[in-house]
Amino acid sequence: MSDFDAIVIGAGNGGLTAAATLAKGGAKTLLLERHNVPGGCATSFCRGRFEFEVALHQLSGMGDEKFPGPLRSVLHGLDVLDRVEFIPMKNLYRLVIPGRLDIMLPADRNGTVEALQKRFPAESAKIREFYDLVYAFFNQLISVFYLRDPEASREKYPLYFKYALASSQEILDEYFTDPLLKLTVAAYWGYMGVPPRFLTFSDLAALIFAYIEFKPYHIRNGSQALSNALIETFMNNGGEVRFNCGAAKIGLRDGAVAEVVTDRGERLTTGCVVSNISTPVMYNELIGIESTPKEKYEEMRGSTIGPSSFTLYIGMDCTPAELGIGETTNFIAAHEDMDRAFTQMRDIDEPAMILVSCYNVSDPGASPDGTCQIAVVDLQYAEPWLAVPPSLYASEKYRYASKVLDLVERVFPGFRKHIEEIEVATPLTHIRYLGHPGGAFYGFDQYAKDSRLVNPPVQSIAGLFHAGSWAAEGGFQPSLTSGSSAGRAALKHIGKRGR
Amino acid sequence: MSSKDFMKQIEGFDRAREEMRICRKYGIDYTVEKGRAAHLMEMLHPRVLHLRVGAVIRETATASTLRMVPVDGYLPPFQAGQYINLFIEKNGVRTSRPYSISSAPHQTGYYDITVRRVENGFVSDILLDTVKPGDEFESTSPSGNFYYNPLYHEKSMVCLAGGSGVTPFMSMIREVTDRGLDRTIHLIYGSRGEDDIIFHEELKDRAARYGNFVYAPVISEPSKSCSELSGFINADLMRKVLRDTGSKTFYLCGPSGMYDFCMPELEKIGIPARRVRREMFGPPRDITAEPGWPKEVSGAAEFSVSVRGGKAVKARAGESLLSALERAGVVVPALCRCGECSMCRVKLLSGRVFEPRGVLLRKSDRACGYIHSCAAYPLSDLEIML
Ligand SMILES: Cc1cc2nc3c(=O)[nH]c(=O)nc-3n(C[C@H](O)[C@H](O)[C@H](O)COP(=O)(O)OP(=O)(O)OC[C@H]3O[C@@H](n4cnc5c(N)ncnc54)[C@H](O)[C@@H]3O)c2cc1C
Ligand code: FES
Repeated sequence: MSDFDAIVIGAGNGGLTAAATLAKGGAKTLLLERHNVPGGCATSFCRGRFEFEVALHQLSGMGDEKFPGPLRSVLHGLDVLDRVEFIPMKNLYRLVIPGRLDIMLPADRNGTVEALQKRFPAESAKIREFYDLVYAFFNQLISVFYLRDPEASREKYPLYFKYALASSQEILDEYFTDPLLKLTVAAYWGYMGVPPRFLTFSDLAALIFAYIEFKPYHIRNGSQALSNALIETFMNNGGEVRFNCGAAKIGLRDGAVAEVVTDRGERLTTGCVVSNISTPVMYNELIGIESTPKEKYEEMRGSTIGPSSFTLYIGMDCTPAELGIGETTNFIAAHEDMDRAFTQMRDIDEPAMILVSCYNVSDPGASPDGTCQIAVVDLQYAEPWLAVPPSLYASEKYRYASKVLDLVERVFPGFRKHIEEIEVATPLTHIRYLGHPGGAFYGFDQYAKDSRLVNPPVQSIAGLFHAGSWAAEGGFQPSLTSGSSAGRAALKHIGKRGR
Repeated sequence: MSSKDFMKQIEGFDRAREEMRICRKYGIDYTVEKGRAAHLMEMLHPRVLHLRVGAVIRETATASTLRMVPVDGYLPPFQAGQYINLFIEKNGVRTSRPYSISSAPHQTGYYDITVRRVENGFVSDILLDTVKPGDEFESTSPSGNFYYNPLYHEKSMVCLAGGSGVTPFMSMIREVTDRGLDRTIHLIYGSRGEDDIIFHEELKDRAARYGNFVYAPVISEPSKSCSELSGFINADLMRKVLRDTGSKTFYLCGPSGMYDFCMPELEKIGIPARRVRREMFGPPRDITAEPGWPKEVSGAAEFSVSVRGGKAVKARAGESLLSALERAGVVVPALCRCGECSMCRVKLLSGRVFEPRGVLLRKSDRACGYIHSCAAYPLSDLEIML
């Protein structure tokens, strides 16, 4: 008899849904989390009068009750919908290049097309055609990919077969001429971490389609509320969770998972592990280089560690209106060159494109009356931060934060004067709290070659399953969804049927 | 057609395959990542510091500075105003106490902590009476958010200290004056008697030598011969010392009674909340005197706390749940010990606790019954989950 049917390592989004799925499916499950709270990225922290959301800006894939998105059904299955309140946003985003562009796209197809046509009248017809393409393409993708039409063929789904792996930039170039228009249409590239040149059209179309059709959402009391609710589901179904307890080793016997050793030295036998931690750390540290099948390292060799971010968590002593903030989601770009912006993710000189989220616009309760909560995100790779000597780390943080605030000030003048609390997180902060190489909260970079369509992962250790951003793509929806799939696969492995 | 076959017909499929083949050939050997993140964190935020007492420096009759040197030669950098949480063992009980670092950040060879005797202090007695050079301790790495933040603090700082609350300011004053930083500091430092002032000579000396540091000790129970300001740190006194109160950030550090007294005084001179920073400096001396404490429960009332999957523990109402758990040998991580950092978070499965003001609990944590055990006092028998 094993101590546990399954052990889940890491209580990030993926680990939480995997654990809840396992427990609901009747498996005796242990969830190990190194940190003292569940959530990984999906967490919050308090400073003064504020509780800051760490990672969630726009939850994708929810949809409403009448038109549920894929994420809604995952969360429904885990009994959290009636315990967590999901708040829809009316608009996708406002995008500003100071002095040159200022446009707002609503979260509906016609509204977005019209807003674009109004600002870019010369390309009016092409704008309509582009969104037609996005929709037609994505509907084909749903049939082929999600509904798995057994008769899928080039003839039946021509758009899918032509564009699924195409570079988004090529399609933007084919349809549009004004670089400002291209940026406006593709501003969500930051949610994937690679610019349109490297982003497959499947990914860009998914972002546009999903956010328009299912609307962007926020969570009342932040993503921590969802993480806590998933823990409740897990425990209510007999799951056992240990906080402040990391996994140190995964022991194999005859090439299959046999036990987990905790960082307190406890040995726990199990035939099944779901890992929510990064793949490099899992193989290097937990399984060990010697015990890891060579193919796993070969597989990883082809991929690069994705970006992390430089983030400012800010509590303001005034309302959004006083600052002139009318949207929850605001992108501010210093220029329209997305390739250059991608390059700038590897230096700490000047921010190229930042996301300024003001949660109070859609959820007035996001901070005390008369205040507001703001998160400013600038995607960054860890490298330049790794080169900063520890003794200069604090001053570099402030130097760069000041540049980011300068960019914010250009759109919201007087911003700095209202700051009541501010906390700065760098890629090193994410390394510290998540334990991932590069602090990469999206996992590996997602180029076309990294698509699971092209290079499906090989499972080489019996009883080992992966959940989260390192197994799927980064982001809330993918990581939450991948955990529930991993949970189901694990249930099958241990011979439980699931719910 | 199986899924694998039709995928191959997607335009660009072969190219992407080939790209991956080449990348795998010339790509990254991730075995080099082994141990990297851990090493990096050892430089910035080690989980544990091993410290040795290098010297004990007598400051006043009731306070001493312990100069802590690293056992393995390295101390992580910190920002002036931060603290370490020092672990102490006494009679087989392991507990901890946060102490602000009083030495300057550019002094990389040691951290000074300055300890003042607390009445019936479980830990301060040991540190003051028994600790000698050569003794070793474990601590957390420097933490806390009480420091000068150039992003939104004014360059002119007013530091209001009470008693041993001067320690974080000492670090700031030493840094700003030694390094010639472009900032000014006014220190208004309240003590009971002249003999209680910690760092008095050094502060006078620095004030005399540096134009950007002003020192104003305030004595609440002055002797006949006392030449310092007397009374409490109130609006009038602040006006007198500061003259101009605009464009300044105020920092408060001292016993909890001092906040209750000073906050309204700051309001009187028109300082908005965003320009006041407070360090939570330890739990209230007497929890039963806190507003909201249920009068029917005596501080000595004893309850039983059962830990799910573990043992049952005795706990007194007047003592934090964390301390009761520590006394019984139950390990709960701790850092700030004043309800702010969430390190000691546990789940309350049944029973009632009292939480003093200033506890920073996440909204969803509250809704799901989590508490910060360092700032939760049992009011009934409890069942908790670690
Ligand atoms: C600033 C920021 C902004 C973001 N914005 C968005 C957004 O707007 N929309 C969106 O969809 N996504 C966003 N993301 C990305 C999204 O949050 C992540 O991709 C997602 O949460 C990753 O989930 P995960 O399942 O991979 O787990 P992670 O969150 O990576 O968590 C891994 C967990 O494993 C634990 N762990 C590590 N090692 C061990 C061990 N040895 N033993 C036990 N436990 C261990 C860690 O403590 C952690 O809890 C953002 C992220 C950040 C940081
Ligand atoms: S130790 Fe910080 S909240 Fe308890």
